[in-house]
Amino acid sequence: MTSSTLIFVILFLALFSYWYGMHRSIKVAGGVTKVKQLVSLPRQFGLLTALWCGIPALIVLLLWTVFEATVIESLLVAKLPQNIQEMTPSQLGLYLNDIKIMAQQNLGEVTETSEQIKHFAALEFQQLNLNAAWLKSAIIFLVCLSCVMFIVSRFRLDYRARAATEKITLKVLMACSGIAVLTTLGIVLSVLFESINFFSEVSPVEFLFGTEWSPQTALRADQVASSGAFGAVPLFVGTLLITFIAMLMAVPIGLMTAIYLSQYASQRLRTVAKPMLEILAGIPTVVYGFFAALTVAPFVRDVGESLGLNVASESALAAGIVMGVMIIPFVSSLSDDAINAVPKTLKEGSLGMGATMSETIRHVLLPAALPGIVGAILLAVSRAIGETMIVVMAAGMAANLTVNPLESVTTVTVQIVTLLTGDQEFDSAKTLAAFALGLMLFVTTLALNVVALKVVRKYREQYD
Amino acid sequence: MSDLSFTENLTSSDITIEGTVGKVVAEDAKMSMRNVNVFYADKQAIKNVSLDLARNQVTALIGPSGCGKSTFLRCLNRMNDTIPICRVEGELLLEEQDIYAKNLDPVLLRARVGMVFQKPNPFPKSIYDNVAYGPKIHGLATNKAELDEIVISSLQKAGLFNEVKDRLDSPGTGLSGGQQQRLCIARTIAVSPEVILMDEPASALDPIATAVIEELIDELKEKYTIAIVTHSMQQAARVSQTTAYFHMGQLVEMGKTEQIFTNPVHTLTENYITGRFG
Ligand SMILES: Nc1ncnc2c1ncn2[C@@H]1O[C@H](COP(=O)(O)OP(=O)(O)OP(=O)(O)O)[C@@H](O)[C@H]1O
Ligand SMILES: [Mg+2]
Repeated sequence: MTSSTLIFVILFLALFSYWYGMHRSIKVAGGVTKVKQLVSLPRQFGLLTALWCGIPALIVLLLWTVFEATVIESLLVAKLPQNIQEMTPSQLGLYLNDIKIMAQQNLGEVTETSEQIKHFAALEFQQLNLNAAWLKSAIIFLVCLSCVMFIVSRFRLDYRARAATEKITLKVLMACSGIAVLTTLGIVLSVLFESINFFSEVSPVEFLFGTEWSPQTALRADQVASSGAFGAVPLFVGTLLITFIAMLMAVPIGLMTAIYLSQYASQRLRTVAKPMLEILAGIPTVVYGFFAALTVAPFVRDVGESLGLNVASESALAAGIVMGVMIIPFVSSLSDDAINAVPKTLKEGSLGMGATMSETIRHVLLPAALPGIVGAILLAVSRAIGETMIVVMAAGMAANLTVNPLESVTTVTVQIVTLLTGDQEFDSAKTLAAFALGLMLFVTTLALNVVALKVVRKYREQYD
Repeated sequence: MSDLSFTENLTSSDITIEGTVGKVVAEDAKMSMRNVNVFYADKQAIKNVSLDLARNQVTALIGPSGCGKSTFLRCLNRMNDTIPICRVEGELLLEEQDIYAKNLDPVLLRARVGMVFQKPNPFPKSIYDNVAYGPKIHGLATNKAELDEIVISSLQKAGLFNEVKDRLDSPGTGLSGGQQQRLCIARTIAVSPEVILMDEPASALDPIATAVIEELIDELKEKYTIAIVTHSMQQAARVSQTTAYFHMGQLVEMGKTEQIFTNPVHTLTENYITGRFG
């Protein structure tokens, strides 16, 4: 049986155990009329039995699936002739691949000696797989059966099935959150290790402080192409420049929108305007991207040229403006929530002193809502730093080290994309540079979040 | 409450309210309201109420919950303007001046008619800045020394200065409930209002803090005209000179506090203050 069929079988068995557990608990009580004597309800016994049937079996199945391939491979290798066993790991890998491909085809007769070994191995491989499948099914059935038997044998009148279920639920929840944490950890570690590989080829000093970025390395020794320069400073300056322009656009507009909507707008306007703003947040960034490239960038260039300025056709300014528009709803929506969360009594207190609405907003509402607003802004910043699509389309790929918003710049995320698109050697410095950039990005966003939390906590202490 | 069988015979619907009993006009009125009607959308919350606030006196507004005391009080400094569905009709005068006149700025009115709320609501600022807030926005002080002077004297008048003089820079929200309410009173008097409206100013406080506030109200009436909403008969009897009893949006009876509490004319008033209704 394949693993997916087995999952259905396990679920079916669990369903059956539910019924069986219920039935057994009623029997323990001594009939339907006496179920009141049980500490827990029959259906709670049923649920417990079902969990005991399903969960261990699923765990076994998972472990089996994870280790099956490696175990079968090593069994197969053990049966191969000595000279093949002594091949280097990569050669052996290729050889095994051949065998697996053969095993999937119809195995006819072969005459060549070298092919005969492979042929034999392929047959062996098929047999091993078949055996494994049978063994797997048998073990799963056994696990289901014995677990159900075990738990049912413990049913007594005072057995607390409900509490036991609760414990299992807790463990399942813990396992799930564990998966999330482990995945994150895994990603971080893999990025970290690949970055370390990168830094063994390119010195961290060059990466962090170098001002030239041209990641094209020569593939062959005789190639005239550049030797590759991995100074990340232009990328970070470009990222910061575009983020800065975007925030310059998004923070004032977003904040004022939030103030208007939460304090001045009529109920009717609010019910229309808020969802509309949130739609803005739902537009795919690629749409913003071509809007930036096809509409805003030419417009910026035309305006610049009519003022006598020299504007690149793809400019940081255009990308920043469009990114700012994209971020407005983040800032406005979260700030709106923060302002609305300020107690109404504070606002009335200020108005009751004879303060005007705008004085009340400036001196009372905004300071009180500051933690939320700072949080909103920092969230928007991390969003801007991580944004890729708009920049790819509107700001270009040229790694210029400049703070002039009219020139073309590039960002960290854009470079990661260009480094990894197309055919790549996985262990070249060019590819590994993407991991180093990713690590930097991760560290930056993490630092930003830590600062955000600190700020928020500091003000919260002061205001509550 | 204490005598249920008696109350059954005397439910409010049995007793008609025909106009207001007692004396609503004061010889020396600071504010005078005539035929005030207040609506929340279509629902009428105040029905044809007329009364005066006597100068340098404390007027207590009492009545069962939901009878419109807060609504009426909030008309006096146009706080109801902040509620879009609320509509006020009638004549409301402060020193002969119509406070709902078209050319009158509600912001300036609120500097003359201050308000203290039920729940202490200090701003998320330091104690000093809480009190300095009003004077600053109204430009009452030209320099720091003058502002200090206003802040200190306001805190002194509110009887809070000695308790906080060493920590004027710490947040106002860090004070105890009673201290916070006195801070709010200090904040209100810092803009030298003429009238102070208090909506259950002591309902969130313990008896000792309440006694301090009551004493303070008694002192404040030397300088200000005060209207106070309260649910406590004892408090109304202790601090006020005039008492007005509201019932379902109407002013049932108004008169000297001793008279209202010792010898009420209207049966509804009598039921309320003797605790048979409420
Ligand atoms: N913002 C509002 N919108 C609609 N109706 C309101 C509003 N505020 C008060 N009301 C209604 O007006 C009536 C009077 O309310 P008000 O708050 O003035 O009563 P109150 O006498 O102050 O009561 P309490 O002693 O409980 O504070 C009530 O029926 C109330 O439901
Ligand atoms: Mg009230």
